[in-house]
Amino acid sequence: MRRILFLVFAAALATASGAYAHHSYAATYDVTHEVTIEGKLVQFVYRNPHSFVHVSTAGEKGVAERWAVEWSGTTQLNNAGVTKESLKVGDLVIIRARPSRVPGEFRALMLNLKRPSDGFTWGSAGQQVD
Amino acid sequence: MHRARTVAATLIAAAAAALAIAPLAAQPPRPVNPPDIAGEWTLSNNEEDTTAQPPLGDYLGIPFNAAGRQRSDTTAESIWGTPEYQCRPHSAPHQWRGLGGARILKEQDPLTRDVKAYHIQFMRSLDWPVFMDRRPHPPAWAPHTWTGFSTGEWIGNTLKITTTHLKDGYLKRGGPQTSDLYSMTDYLTRHGDILTIVTSVDDPVYMDEPYVESTTYTIDLNSNVAMETCNGTAFAENGGTDRHHVPHFLPGQNTALTEWLKKDDWIPVEPTRGGANTMYPEYRAGSTAGAKFPASKTAVDAAKSIGEQSPRDGQVHVLPVQGNIYMVVADGVNVTVSMGADGVMLVNTGTASMSDKVLAAVNQLANATVTPPGPNSCFGANCPGAWGWASPYMNAIISSPAPPRPIRYIANTSAAPEHVGGNEKIAAAGFFPRGASFGSAVDGIGRHASIFAHENVQNRLSSASVPAAAQPTDTFFDEFQKLPEYFNGEAVILYSAPAANTDGDSLVYFRHSEVISAGNLLSSISYPVIDVEKGGSVQGVIDGLNKILDLAVAEYRGQGGTWIIPGRGRLSDTADVASYRNMLTIVRDRVKDSIKKGMTLAQVKASRPTMDFDPRFGSTTGPWTTEMFVEAVYKSLQEKK
Repeated sequence: MRRILFLVFAAALATASGAYAHHSYAATYDVTHEVTIEGKLVQFVYRNPHSFVHVSTAGEKGVAERWAVEWSGTTQLNNAGVTKESLKVGDLVIIRARPSRVPGEFRALMLNLKRPSDGFTWGSAGQQVD
Repeated sequence: MHRARTVAATLIAAAAAALAIAPLAAQPPRPVNPPDIAGEWTLSNNEEDTTAQPPLGDYLGIPFNAAGRQRSDTTAESIWGTPEYQCRPHSAPHQWRGLGGARILKEQDPLTRDVKAYHIQFMRSLDWPVFMDRRPHPPAWAPHTWTGFSTGEWIGNTLKITTTHLKDGYLKRGGPQTSDLYSMTDYLTRHGDILTIVTSVDDPVYMDEPYVESTTYTIDLNSNVAMETCNGTAFAENGGTDRHHVPHFLPGQNTALTEWLKKDDWIPVEPTRGGANTMYPEYRAGSTAGAKFPASKTAVDAAKSIGEQSPRDGQVHVLPVQGNIYMVVADGVNVTVSMGADGVMLVNTGTASMSDKVLAAVNQLANATVTPPGPNSCFGANCPGAWGWASPYMNAIISSPAPPRPIRYIANTSAAPEHVGGNEKIAAAGFFPRGASFGSAVDGIGRHASIFAHENVQNRLSSASVPAAAQPTDTFFDEFQKLPEYFNGEAVILYSAPAANTDGDSLVYFRHSEVISAGNLLSSISYPVIDVEKGGSVQGVIDGLNKILDLAVAEYRGQGGTWIIPGRGRLSDTADVASYRNMLTIVRDRVKDSIKKGMTLAQVKASRPTMDFDPRFGSTTGPWTTEMFVEAVYKSLQEKK
């Protein structure tokens, strides 16, 4: 009973989330910022609980950077028409993403993915990882 | 007379009644018909939202102390992306709040049909067994797991579950952290179709009082708890190319802690930081002067819990580990023992004063495990293994078992006195058979066990005038040293850990048993002892721990698998080593940042870079204090500047 006051506060503050994630997206990624990652896809890990794409970019200092971009789980991707074969290693992709909250980390959360070679796109509002 | 007879009869009846109920009184308390809690349950509600995913920095209602607050402020959620944590299940306090419902199963005794154990499962959990057979909890030096070790008892219609041996984790997703010393008590009460769970989390490291929460479930005949698979791989989820990257925030760097208050600006910042006082009605942010708060506190003594993992009791305790390997806790110092058909190998020998007890324990273990009388499965002179007139059956009947093979090898992971103190006596009790034909040539050598170590161990012991019989007989100077042949059916490899605790540390890998003896690289009771004067460095210890993590593989969901025996403290696995590595990396980064800012040693000490880990690993007294540790970290980093 003693902590009812603040538990009520907490209940009022809590944000609803439909994300089936073991970790918290909101705690992992800075939802107030975006980064654009452009480069060659070097790995597509289609798996649960979350899929990942790894993209090699030129890097600011000319040294290649390897970004890990978190995507949805296989069920959600499959429902959106993304299969294991949708992306190939070597594809040039442009990704808009939420950056990690940890400074300097090459991790991001997928907002939108485009493959200019054939116009393949993922990332309408309903498909975003949330 | 009549009255006397009546009194006597009453006493006899009372005695008979007492006798009659005595056996019942010895049984665990339980209602005549305990409520059936088995079934599929769906999450109904609790004090918060159903996912218990508070925004970053929301510690409302959590009785944090300053260390818990800092630990949570500086923890990055992307720690989940490290290879060792990718598949860890939710921490125990969060499981009741996680999505996906709960399944409770009954395991019954086939003879009596008593419930031996309940098994509770969630979508993102391992099986959580709750033993109802009154077995004791394991010793403090036994491993900790994600679900811990639980026992249950009925108190009226409420099932009380007591859980110990838990790994470090979090109270809720995305922030509030726990240490690995917390215990958890759950009270499950069924009211018709409703199951109420009241959970008390007692963490003496990070909280001043137990944290209490409740959750309600509803029975659902149509639900079915899903199991989330996790096929995480060792590739880095956190990007980059450093698989040993440890995400964290430097103190003050996490600017997101009050982000949520921009929207909810009616909440003062002060109570969001948690603290025992903030839970009481007397508390009002900004006006607590004169308020009186109850002086309640955690029921667990952290120092006692830590000490029990490495008992300085003058005794020897044996813990079977895996395969050939046993962990022998000798007055708080761990000795690793390989026991098998080829003989005995020890990694480290404990202190000199414990040699006799260690030898006695090893002999007892050898007699019990290597040459136990086995059942006869074949009768007659043609049975496999018959060498003459009699079958193995006859040999077993007419003779006593052969004595166990002797101690053949000792490996020293360093020159630390607590690890080489027993070398002389224990090596002398061993025997290294070098072959009958060459007996005379190696007579003096073969009468002792061989001692392996990095050559700098020998240099240290030699310069300290340690008797020759206590010094290594076989040394190596490069990356690793293999034992020349299989021992007890497996490869045994010593890996050098350069510039770690000293300049001569090693870890020993038993490749088939899947056990690593870590020496002083790992301790569950203190910060690592780093002797900078003898070539030690914080980076060397981190590298050594990373080497262990590269060799080790978890059995399932980030726990078990390769077992790691620390120099002191409880038996550990990859997650425990990762946790210790994370702590050291975080401290290194904080001190390194301070050095970069030009801070002196005194200033760094005053900034308390280890503050949130001190209640767990620190000490203000004894041979290795927190100040000494910080100084060693500072000096070893400064020299590499």
